Amino acid sequence: MVGKNLSLKSARAAKDMSQKELADVVGVTRQTINAIESGDYNPSINLCIAICKALGKTLNDLFWEDDDNA
Amino acid sequence: MRKGQLDEMQRQIRDRIGNQMFILMSYLLLLDIGLYGFGFRWLSYPMNVFVIMIGCMCYYLARIIWQGAYAGPNAKRTGLKVVIINTVTALIAALIVWFVNNHYPAASPDDSNGAMVLFIFGGVALIIISVVSLCRRRNNKGQDD
Repeated sequence: MVGKNLSLKSARAAKDMSQKELADVVGVTRQTINAIESGDYNPSINLCIAICKALGKTLNDLFWEDDDNA
Repeated sequence: MRKGQLDEMQRQIRDRIGNQMFILMSYLLLLDIGLYGFGFRWLSYPMNVFVIMIGCMCYYLARIIWQGAYAGPNAKRTGLKVVIINTVTALIAALIVWFVNNHYPAASPDDSNGAMVLFIFGGVALIIISVVSLCRRRNNKGQDD
């Protein structure tokens, strides 16, 4: 279990997408997106890439946690 | 209920629950064998094995539905309104049948259990609707679809 993924949530909000819309684009359920954002689920690298492509971000932007962004 | 249509989190949940159910069923069957060895027969063979398997299967299904891993992202949702309308119709029909049976016995000479069946059908449907909406609300965590 990791912390909340606020980067993903803010990137999704910046694109004005709902969890359902993002889930439809990447082909998962809305609950999966919700679980990723709340830190209840660690997605596979393929799903991470699909989310990054849908949001126009890099893996570093959304899924890399450094000391400043932990 | 094709597993290939589930997303990766749903598959992970289903695999985890399936493994737990397999272990649970193995222990229950071993316990049953042990009880049989001590001379305690709670059900005759093969009904005891059948009941254990059906029980585990029901528990497995209940858990995957509870955790939102039953239907995949592309599954078509049955309209809740249609289900509710059918349930209310069944309950009203049950009331009418019950009323006719009790107030106009000559109009319904065959004393069937139609009203009771419709009541049970409506009651079970209401329970299922409540559980499904509860599961959906729980899995959505306060966010609408």
